[in-house]
Amino acid sequence: MEQAEPEASPRLGLDIDRTMQAAVPNSTGDTVFEVEDLNVYYGDFRAVQDATFTVYEHEITAMIGPSGCGKTTVLRCFNRMNDLIPTARVEGRLDFRKVPIYDPRVDPVEVRRRIGMVFQKPNPFPKSIYDNIAFGPRVCGMAKKKSDLDDIVEQSLNRAALWDEVKDRLKDSALGLSGGQQQRLCIARAIAVDPDVLLMDEPCSALDPIATARIEDLMQEIKNDYTIVIVTHNMQQAARISNRTAFFTAQLDSITDQRCGLLVEYDRTETIFSNPSDERTENYVTGRFG
Amino acid sequence: MSDTRVDSAKGFSVESLTANPRQARKERLIRDSLGATALVSVLISGLIIWSLFSEAWTFMVEVDWGSVWDIGWFPRRGIYDIKTLIVASLIVTGIAMIVAGPLGLGAAIYLSEYARPGVRRTLKPILEILAGIPSVVLGFFALEWIAPNVVKTLFGGPAAGSLLAAGIGVGVLVVPLVASISEDAMKAVPMSLREASSGLGARKITTTIRVVLPAAVSGLMAAFIVAVSRALGETMVVFMAGGAAQTAVYTHDPLEGSLPLTAGMTSLARGTDSVVGEGLTFQSLFFVGLLLFVVTFALNVVADRFVHRVREQY
Repeated sequence: MEQAEPEASPRLGLDIDRTMQAAVPNSTGDTVFEVEDLNVYYGDFRAVQDATFTVYEHEITAMIGPSGCGKTTVLRCFNRMNDLIPTARVEGRLDFRKVPIYDPRVDPVEVRRRIGMVFQKPNPFPKSIYDNIAFGPRVCGMAKKKSDLDDIVEQSLNRAALWDEVKDRLKDSALGLSGGQQQRLCIARAIAVDPDVLLMDEPCSALDPIATARIEDLMQEIKNDYTIVIVTHNMQQAARISNRTAFFTAQLDSITDQRCGLLVEYDRTETIFSNPSDERTENYVTGRFG
Repeated sequence: MSDTRVDSAKGFSVESLTANPRQARKERLIRDSLGATALVSVLISGLIIWSLFSEAWTFMVEVDWGSVWDIGWFPRRGIYDIKTLIVASLIVTGIAMIVAGPLGLGAAIYLSEYARPGVRRTLKPILEILAGIPSVVLGFFALEWIAPNVVKTLFGGPAAGSLLAAGIGVGVLVVPLVASISEDAMKAVPMSLREASSGLGARKITTTIRVVLPAAVSGLMAAFIVAVSRALGETMVVFMAGGAAQTAVYTHDPLEGSLPLTAGMTSLARGTDSVVGEGLTFQSLFFVGLLLFVVTFALNVVADRFVHRVREQY
């Protein structure tokens, strides 16, 4: 499984730098998430069926697949965001750094402080740029002094490559920013609380290609410090930025007669795109999905 | 250019693009009659204001202004101490908001942020039914239950009517109003903002206070204004439980009885002989009405300004 084909898929015109893939900077090979037989239900409806895979430290893990395949649902399990939906129920094992985060003793708030999230649509608070970034540190009681908070805001905006564009208008409303800027603001806001992991749910789907490229560059820069899990509809994006890819698909559940998300294949990204072992993966990545 | 176009399409001219005259007439008729209905409501409002103003004007011109700042409200004896009514109104409204503000907002926060969908589906309609209770029923409730059980036992006031009893009664009356409008305002805050907040490790109460409430502030303000207007304009409860009829000596003690603006008007307008008192009794009714109108209007303007300044757009 770990042996990938030496060449990138010529059909997609992908140019994956294999040396970069092999030597992930700062990679300790430590596992961040271990998922085993994960099932997610919304009421009686099973959204995800028996997903098993592992997310490694300082890597970008992409989750791809057609709509309704449960990839966003799985992503939202990682920081217990599904708890916000009253009918959602999670079964199976999901360990974050060897700790089962669905243990009854675990407080989801503590989980979310360590695992940040960036959403599909930029969702800045209707507050100033400064207050958006300062929200998390304030809530978590990270800054004792105003100057500490100022530092956190500047650092976070710097890391999100937004500081130069907004440093003169920190007191202006965040809603005055462009869509791409808003999404970088949301990334800055997420990293302001210094999380261990960053979950990204189709962070570029509402952005134009230039803004998308900036976010992708940003992800490459910050992955030295964070572990990133990203859901994307864009296969090229997954191929460009991720180290590992999980391919999900929706399949008819023979018992309930409902469509249910299924993890088909999980491997190194170049393997998924050039030499997948499952036919469904190959059909999807080559555009012959059916 | 147009010539060739017309030539090439035989029989095609401006006339073929002209609307059917009957259709056009119908369209105009619909527009005009709809406009007329809108005009009628404006006209009625204008008439109300005019009638209010004209009689109030007579009062203002002919009254001895010394009697407008006196010991109390004795219209049939020519003593029209306005501050008695205004202070009584403010006390009742203040007490009502002290009761309805926390209760209404608390209920709204619970319904919008905490209640499970099933609970919410049951509670919200009950709350809205509560809003439909006739105020005369609440007036009795204030007089027969709130006065002896709350005002007397808790505050050592009279077991009969008082401004406090009336205020609490009006407060109970506007709780559903505050709760319902506030809840709508909070429900309108996008889920994505709550998710962003939770994603940053904020607890539910933090999200509610720091994200949902600020984003809903214009709606909350609207709830507050509507409630204050309703409390100021509420008549039956204050008339029944306010602890004064027809006349009142000035007081700012909530444990005593007095006449708020609306109760003063009611006692003036009640019965056929009531308004035939001396001199300007009849006109004073309109003057008080005008005052009520001005206060409510000013409140709306101020609140509107405020909402524009503090509101967080989303």
